[in-house]
Amino acid sequence: SILLLNWELSNQDHPEDIFPMVLTSATQELFDCQADEDVTGESPYKLLEKDDIIQDIKTRAAVSDFSPVKQIVLDYPEDELLLVYDRDFTYGQSFYLVLTPEAKDRILNPPKPETPEVFEKEVVKTPEPKPWISLGSDKEIDEEAFKESREKLLYKFSRVRRKFGVPVCFSDRNTADAKDDYLECASYQDSRFSIKQMQRDCGMQAVPRLQSSSAQTQWKFQKNIFTQYTPRELSVEEKENILQLESLKNFCNSVTPRVLQALQQEGIMNVFFDDWKALGTAADDGDWAGKVSEGLMLYQAFTDQKYTKDKKICSINWHPTIYGKVQHLIIKISISLKSNNSLLKASFILFYTFSDPSNPQLLLECPDDIFAFEFCPSDPNIIVGGCINGQVVLWDISAHVTRLQGTQPGKKVSVNTDNKTPIVHYCAVSALESSHKAPITDVQWLPTTFEVTRMGLPVENMYNISAQVVTCSPDCTIMFWDVRVSSLVSHSASERRPIMDQKTPYSVPDTFKHLDRTWKPLFRVLQGFRVQYKMSTEMFYLQFPNLKISSIHIVIVYSKPNSCCDGEIIYTDWKLGKDDSGRLQSAKPLHCFSIHHWLVNTVQRSPFFKDIILTAGSWNFAIWKEGVMVTTPQVCTVGCWSLSRPAVFFIGKEDGSIEVWNLLEKTNEPVQIHSHVTNAKITCIKPWAASSKQHFLAVTDDIGMVRVFEIPKTLYVPSRSEVRQGPSHFPYLIARPR
Amino acid sequence: MAEVEETLKRIQSQNGVQGIIIVNTEGIPIKTTLDNASTVQYAGLIHQLVMKARSTVRDIDPQNDLTFLRVRSKKNEIMIAPDKDYFLIVIQNPSD
Repeated sequence: SILLLNWELSNQDHPEDIFPMVLTSATQELFDCQADEDVTGESPYKLLEKDDIIQDIKTRAAVSDFSPVKQIVLDYPEDELLLVYDRDFTYGQSFYLVLTPEAKDRILNPPKPETPEVFEKEVVKTPEPKPWISLGSDKEIDEEAFKESREKLLYKFSRVRRKFGVPVCFSDRNTADAKDDYLECASYQDSRFSIKQMQRDCGMQAVPRLQSSSAQTQWKFQKNIFTQYTPRELSVEEKENILQLESLKNFCNSVTPRVLQALQQEGIMNVFFDDWKALGTAADDGDWAGKVSEGLMLYQAFTDQKYTKDKKICSINWHPTIYGKVQHLIIKISISLKSNNSLLKASFILFYTFSDPSNPQLLLECPDDIFAFEFCPSDPNIIVGGCINGQVVLWDISAHVTRLQGTQPGKKVSVNTDNKTPIVHYCAVSALESSHKAPITDVQWLPTTFEVTRMGLPVENMYNISAQVVTCSPDCTIMFWDVRVSSLVSHSASERRPIMDQKTPYSVPDTFKHLDRTWKPLFRVLQGFRVQYKMSTEMFYLQFPNLKISSIHIVIVYSKPNSCCDGEIIYTDWKLGKDDSGRLQSAKPLHCFSIHHWLVNTVQRSPFFKDIILTAGSWNFAIWKEGVMVTTPQVCTVGCWSLSRPAVFFIGKEDGSIEVWNLLEKTNEPVQIHSHVTNAKITCIKPWAASSKQHFLAVTDDIGMVRVFEIPKTLYVPSRSEVRQGPSHFPYLIARPR
Repeated sequence: MAEVEETLKRIQSQNGVQGIIIVNTEGIPIKTTLDNASTVQYAGLIHQLVMKARSTVRDIDPQNDLTFLRVRSKKNEIMIAPDKDYFLIVIQNPSD
């Protein structure tokens, strides 16, 4: 059997480590491996004890089923043998015995088959950041990075407690001042080695090319507001070059005839002159409604029962500044006491206003009759008057000016509640001894442009105020007075009169207190050469030019009363000169005309032409150009120029009529005669330009009436040529023999 | 040069002539009898006026050309004689 066993073992077609065997049912029962009962197809394995098998072999010896494997079983290292039920007879028998433990392990614990990799679908995953691999750049960064090498130093300053809150003052200190204040490690060139810098880090920034400019312009619509420019000019050489050019010569030659023709055309005739328009100045009138009055229209008449009735009005003046509305004009008149049976002893200067024609607004009290008075040109509140007794009187009405101005239409005249016209007392009157010995016939303020020194020299007026007055009188003297504090007029102590402490009423202003009763003239002009005439020559009016020239001439009118006497016009220079004996003497007159055969009562310079003078005498009036003389025979008492038309003047007559002369229209007779304006002699005419639309003419007469006429537009609007041509329309009067 | 002077003298001798300016086509004054400021002002302003006037005339009729320009004002009269290369400005005060 061993041999058989071997043979079977070697010829088997089964693995060497198993032995197929048949187990009888008895064996099966013995070992509990009954087929299909203990071991089945699903669990074919049965572990047999080795000892049991050996026992079985011993007991049954050759009958045991295990006899063929007896040796193997005896050699079996382990205690248990595996018996596998081979149901399918894989190895030829129904059972097989596993001979080696390794096979046993192998059969019992088959190696797990490798599970095949599950090939799932590949899901797209977001790439995860790969871990950073350092390539050396972090070292570079570390080198360049800015790290604090040491801790920050902190310095804390504090002051002593007692100095808290006290202001502290910091200042700079230069470390170079103190010697050992600092240590310096200066860089120096070490000659031992030199490192050439091969590479340098530098930062760059790209900057766009920028250009900025500005202009002044508006925001919404942008355009230049201002442009500054200078003209282009050629240099001198260029100009020289051009002047040499042939083309310029040709140009000049070709252009000259045209230009000359045009220039001559101009000279021949003015083609643009509108003859029609210049034909009549009446065409300028807008008043075609027919209400144009050609003559003087009576505007207002003033008279006062108490003050002016039956009195001769000698002089009238318009207030130079108070005007405004039409009804608001103020005029002044002066009254002289002529009638014998008057109740009033004192004489007055009356102020009238248009709004109240029957009541005077203000009365200026005069020490005596006044023949002439004038407003001061620079200060209309000062009025100077010349009395019949030769004294010069001054008034100051500044206290009452508001009252005068207050009389406007529409306003209730509440100032006159007591129905009494205020009376202004005179501020100053000249010393009796030094005044004229005869009535003062004319008083004039010197214009603001010059003033006169003690010696009679006209000098420039520093203050532009009129402070000097000239008076003339039939006592053959002309006196110059100064209203200022008499520092210039120094007299010896004996001449000076003590200022008497008079009891002036409180209402009199102190303006001229320094002058009152002590006022002496600056100097006098004595016409010594007239000694062959009677002393009772009457001197009438003076007029001054408004010129600033070094030697000023005045025109004085002499006239003599009574019959057979000639009125003379004297044109003289008032400077005091020295005659042979060394005494101060007035100069001889330059010209002397006697054309007026009677009294001369008007001398007036034309307001337009400085050298045209109108003089009116009893029989005629004359128009003078200084040096040239023209007369026409008319009987007149007074005359005055129109203020706005150089060729128009007004003449007042003895019989109370007014003549209007217009030299442009007629030269031998007046253009208008308003006869019998009044029944008495006309004593004074004064024009006034109240506004551009209204011109007035104030006319006074011998019986106390003042009439104000409105000058029609034709008479006061000058024609275009009138002002320009000037005195050219006078010369053709000269040719007429008289 | 002498001709230019002679022209100026002839024109200047007329009545009322206040000033004469010769200007080139660009408006730069070449010769003048007035002071510099006035000259420059006149030249600049009148140059523009002449250009305008000339262009007006030629626009209306291209065959036409401006021969003379007179500007009459209240105070004086400005006469301008244009040419191809230059123009002459004369200021006159009309006597009437």
